[in-house]
Amino acid sequence: MDITFIKRFITTSIGRKAVMAVSGLLLGGFMLVHLAENLLLFKGEIFYNGWVDFLLSNPITPFLEAGLLALFLAHIAAGTWVRVEDFLNAPRGYEARKWQGGRTIGSATMLYTAAAILAYLTYHMLTFRFVDHSMGFYQMVTGAFRSPVFVAVYVAGAAALALHLSHGMQSAFQTLGVNHPKYTPLIKLGGLLVALAMIGFALISVYYLAGIDLKSAEAGYQVVIIK
Amino acid sequence: MKGLKHFSVTVRVWRQAGPKEPGKMVSYKVKDVSPDMSFLEMLDVLNDNLLKKGDTPIAFESDCREGICGCCGLVVNGDVHGPDEHSTVCQLHMRRFSDGDVITVEPWRVKSFPVIKDLVVDRSSFDRLIAAGGFISVNTGAAPDANSVPVEKDKAEEAMDAAACIGCGACVASCPNGAAMLFVGAKVSQLALLPQGTPERANRALNMVAAMDKEGFGNCTNEYECEAVCPKDVKVANIARLNREFLLANLFSKK
Repeated sequence: MDITFIKRFITTSIGRKAVMAVSGLLLGGFMLVHLAENLLLFKGEIFYNGWVDFLLSNPITPFLEAGLLALFLAHIAAGTWVRVEDFLNAPRGYEARKWQGGRTIGSATMLYTAAAILAYLTYHMLTFRFVDHSMGFYQMVTGAFRSPVFVAVYVAGAAALALHLSHGMQSAFQTLGVNHPKYTPLIKLGGLLVALAMIGFALISVYYLAGIDLKSAEAGYQVVIIK
Repeated sequence: MKGLKHFSVTVRVWRQAGPKEPGKMVSYKVKDVSPDMSFLEMLDVLNDNLLKKGDTPIAFESDCREGICGCCGLVVNGDVHGPDEHSTVCQLHMRRFSDGDVITVEPWRVKSFPVIKDLVVDRSSFDRLIAAGGFISVNTGAAPDANSVPVEKDKAEEAMDAAACIGCGACVASCPNGAAMLFVGAKVSQLALLPQGTPERANRALNMVAAMDKEGFGNCTNEYECEAVCPKDVKVANIARLNREFLLANLFSKK
């Protein structure tokens, strides 16, 4: 059995980046689904907890969760390897150095936003995943969103994620060889829109921090999502 | 009119006696600079002055001085190939500068292009990349009939745009990661786009990427600084093509 081609995905520069790109795109897709799920908070406690129960009671969920973990690990491993090599090989020692406009804030900060996302993800797991869920998921999430400290961290995490995706989404397509005069402008725009959507996480948390749900309930309004 | 009078500049230049010697920036005053001089001619004048004083002239590389050979690669005031867009440093003229300017001149500072002396770097790693792409020996005979091998006009243009690469190394020098992807992308593209390059395209992509990694070039992170400085305006679409060629060859060729 010849597994050279699998080895090449791990040992060559382009192979590693393809691993990073595919896992990154899938993780980006996961983040969009995650955001859609967070929007279900607006449908109220009963609906939200019902949805979470459906997810947790589904026998496929543990496998999906393991797959998600594998995606994160693959993305982090490939990314770290790429960046360590780049650190070792980077041109160094220019007395004067001007960037010529290729770099963006997103592309120049990929490593830092990656570190910030990883730090946030750890915090996220410690506050939402590996805790007592007996109070119900809706109470847990909205309760956390009423803490200014939690929301500050949450907003920072969403901002780092948005910045990361502003470069990452379109970069992944380029790495996978998708570059076409017709589609590349659309891909770049789409990547920016996905990045912008990540601000949605922050907005939802601020919505609860500001107590808009409570105020509108007092005033007799209710958020109704048309089915 | 600005710039017509002769003027003086101070050149701060990297001096390094040999590959293993430590280097440092040294300042030289150059008087009577004509705005019509090219940047390299100004360095020639400076070297004449140094020779007259019995000093060692500054070593720098140049050949055609018309922007097509790729020898002259310098970082001028932090700009790879100088401040003009998509231009080689030999095409830079002193009219871009003013009296009293301090001009910083540095070599490519790339791990895979070690400095030989002063501003001259060893770019033989690029030669090894080209060699890794393989070659054939063919007795070509008389010139073939035009259109005996049909090539789409657009493909021919794209291949020519990639083949415009002069191998100067600016892409690596400007890359935050020291990656050679634009160079290798151009070299793979110029052949992959044409029917004559098709038989070996899978092997070529696999071998050139392996050689690129072996030479210690960095990994591309799609920052596109290379495209911004390339004197021949080679596009990063060629990097995408290299990625595509490599990934398809890895997945679907028998190697």
